[in-house]
Amino acid sequence: MKKVGEGNEYDVIIIGGGATGAGTARDCAMRGLRVLLLERFDYTNGATGRNHGLLHSGARYAVNDSESATECIKENMILRKIASHCVEENDGLFISLPEDDIAYQAKFIDSCRKAGISAEAIDPKEAIRIEPSVNPSLIGAVKVPDGSIDPFRLTLANVLDARQHGAVTKVYHEVVKFIREQDRIVGVCALNHKTKEVETYYAQFVVNAGGIWGHHIAEMAGVTVNMYPAKGALLIFGHRVNNVVLNRCRKAADADILVPGDTITVIGTTSSHIPYDEIDNMRVTPEEVDLLLREGEKLAPSLATTRILRAYAGVRPLVAADDDPTGRNISRGIVLLDHAERDGLNSFLTITGGKLITYRLMAEWTTNLICKKMGLNEPCRTAEVPLPGSRQESEEVKERIASNNVYRAAEGRHGDLTKEIPLDNEYDNSLVCECEGVSVGEVNYALKELEISDLVSLRRRTRVGMGTCQGELCACRAAGLLSQAHNCTEKAKADLVNFLNERWKGMYPIAWGESLRESQFSAWVYGSVCNLSSGKTK
Amino acid sequence: MKFDTIIIGGGLAGLVAGIRLQEKGRQCAIVSTGQSALHFSSGSFDLLGKLPDGTEVDNPMGMMNRLDAPHPYSYIGSEAIAVYADEFSEMMKRAGVNLVGNVSQNHYHFTPMGSVKKTWLTLKDFTILDRPDNFPWKSVAIINFPGFLDFYTKFIADELEKHDVKCKLSLVKLPFIEKIRTNPTEMRSANIAKTFEKEENIDAFVEAVSPYIKDVEAIVVPAVFGIYSDKPLLYLKSKLNKDVCTIATMPPSVPGIRMQQQLIHYFIRQGGTFMLGDTVERADIEKDEVKAVYTANHSDIKMTADNYILASGSFFSRGIIARPDSVYEPVFDLDVFYDTDRSHWYDTDVFAPQKYMSFGVITTPDFHAIRKHVTITNLYAIGSILSGHNALHEGCGGGVSIMSAMHVADNLLKNK
Repeated sequence: MKKVGEGNEYDVIIIGGGATGAGTARDCAMRGLRVLLLERFDYTNGATGRNHGLLHSGARYAVNDSESATECIKENMILRKIASHCVEENDGLFISLPEDDIAYQAKFIDSCRKAGISAEAIDPKEAIRIEPSVNPSLIGAVKVPDGSIDPFRLTLANVLDARQHGAVTKVYHEVVKFIREQDRIVGVCALNHKTKEVETYYAQFVVNAGGIWGHHIAEMAGVTVNMYPAKGALLIFGHRVNNVVLNRCRKAADADILVPGDTITVIGTTSSHIPYDEIDNMRVTPEEVDLLLREGEKLAPSLATTRILRAYAGVRPLVAADDDPTGRNISRGIVLLDHAERDGLNSFLTITGGKLITYRLMAEWTTNLICKKMGLNEPCRTAEVPLPGSRQESEEVKERIASNNVYRAAEGRHGDLTKEIPLDNEYDNSLVCECEGVSVGEVNYALKELEISDLVSLRRRTRVGMGTCQGELCACRAAGLLSQAHNCTEKAKADLVNFLNERWKGMYPIAWGESLRESQFSAWVYGSVCNLSSGKTK
Repeated sequence: MKFDTIIIGGGLAGLVAGIRLQEKGRQCAIVSTGQSALHFSSGSFDLLGKLPDGTEVDNPMGMMNRLDAPHPYSYIGSEAIAVYADEFSEMMKRAGVNLVGNVSQNHYHFTPMGSVKKTWLTLKDFTILDRPDNFPWKSVAIINFPGFLDFYTKFIADELEKHDVKCKLSLVKLPFIEKIRTNPTEMRSANIAKTFEKEENIDAFVEAVSPYIKDVEAIVVPAVFGIYSDKPLLYLKSKLNKDVCTIATMPPSVPGIRMQQQLIHYFIRQGGTFMLGDTVERADIEKDEVKAVYTANHSDIKMTADNYILASGSFFSRGIIARPDSVYEPVFDLDVFYDTDRSHWYDTDVFAPQKYMSFGVITTPDFHAIRKHVTITNLYAIGSILSGHNALHEGCGGGVSIMSAMHVADNLLKNK
């Protein structure tokens, strides 16, 4: 076990590799603090990677929660600048259907404007022109500056920038114990899941950015943060049905947001309270799928005949307030807890609540508090300095994009960092994933630079296996490259089995029609032709 | 258009039935979309690898009596299966397809992962083992082409080395294969195989590998030799003076495509009508009899026959189609076995037996199709569209296709 003074001392330890943790690591590092980020599994494994990917304008919260709405629109505008390679500026429509109360529209527009969100009522015919997939029986529409955001890219860009500013980041490091001296947290013990060893780290401050898991992390530290696990299920459709985000102009309800992103469209969400012990094993039920489809078709009727690629679910990290069974009336506002003030436990902070889109603001608040406590007077610059990937592209990159299709696909994912990807010879150019245009060069870049440990993390970093075939052949190809890189075929094969099971988890809830065809095909290829099996390879 | 028998589906089952009937002078038409499960076959046919309860099977014939109705084998009976097995191998030989194997003893063949798997019949292209640990060589050179990602030399080497086979991995760069890579999506097994249709390219391959294979007993190559016939592979073997072990690639399967082509051509040479790229869309049915079928390309032309055979495959080939709450057969609306509760269709472990795999049409014991509880007297169902078996779990997909096809064809031949 390492002792104090052996390179395991930091100013701040951040627990959690979601958008908030990564954003906080970036902000702290940019202000000159020595930062260690510990993530239990992989980045974006929790709610960050399991939502709509909606760049909220805040309009959805305008009527009931003007504070959140105001935060949203401000952050929305900031992200368009600092994370341009993660954002699609699609706009959004809030539509009223014949069954909706059209009177709500006026109240909605008024609330939006008060929160600083531009909201313009448009003619239903104009709405159909802007978004041909919209339900043609709509009776009203309001245009707002919604958009789409890729949370995987966003989080990774924050991690990369934190590292460029000196932060140390460790995935597969699970905090298992806090080190406490009297009324002060002075460090943590983290289980390294790869080596199975417990490592000890010390810091002046420890930040709990564990999302829904923050409940348990706080408990370990000896304080109580009551989280309210609200499960939200979503469906991914196999192509981009809509180009504009579609919402229902009514009080927030199930399955009333349809978000386009990259090559796909997402409908969600449901909302149901689940027991805390289920948060690590969420499965989408047939009832949730049916509900999402039934409601989704009201936004865009063509969803009824569009192939569904996957179903997935996340848990909103809401802080429990009253006894609301739906979890919808709990504020989505940011909760920053200074446990010194609240519980008399020094050096420990919890940052939770909020939304994906307010992650930067959450990081700013947290870092401000730490700086204040440390007596530092460094200003926050995260709202102005673009993230890696969203900086000026060099002429060289532009030229290569113009001449190479494979490069163009990579550019969409990595922005100006595409220059790091070797695509100069035909071997680097060979495609691993044909649906998403992921090349050998891109996979090798990710293996080298982006903390890839398995196929699931590779998928998050590059979109390998996210396309229409859901990893039919590319999973196996990527496993081959992984086994070369890590020089361990047993692990690569075990990874492949694990990846296929993860994929199945998202597919079986919606496995009928084309999805069942695809499932049967891959069962034959991997189960019969390759003779793979769970647990161990035969 | 009038035929003795119209067969819907040009995969393994449809072709076997068609050839069997056509060889005896029955006029058959096969309507085929063109794609079939043969395109991703491993180059082997399984008869029976496991009982439904998971018991491993080494001697398929010895275990046949352990299968109960509605398993298709239980309808055919083990005596008939033994006879059909011999007749099938002979028939394949006449079509130019050479297979090795024994109904009373499964053998082992290599998977693309390098592991070995038991099976019944294997194309002569491939190396087979009589026991899973009985490797014929002590040292091999495993050859691949740069940028060909569907063949995993490292995985294969790892498995072989577990059995004390020394492996040398080598990449050989050949200009005619490099050319394929100009387009990043074209580096597929079938395109590589096409380049080896030229003997001079095989000569170039032999020359390129010669430095790597001097001190090894055998050379392991991806199965990319011979997409139209087995000539390129035979030529390669004659030039190399070494054991050549071809191992299946990820799909598409070059030997599988070849096998389908050979069967189609043989069927046509026997006088059969092969309607490629067409699909039967609907049928005229009166009471218990099919009167005519109509295809997508000739929707206004009645196709009629004395008998009809449905060999349109499982979900993958769209022989049956799943809705969120039901499974149906799209051409005749036949009675289909399925579970009405969708949550029972799947196991959460993707490699566990999946119930949906056993869904299919319900038949009488002589494979007459049933529609709205009425037996259709001149319509039969064969192959993977049948219910009563789980091809993947039991390792019986090829066998069920072959045996049900032989059985129905023989019954039709007997009846007239």
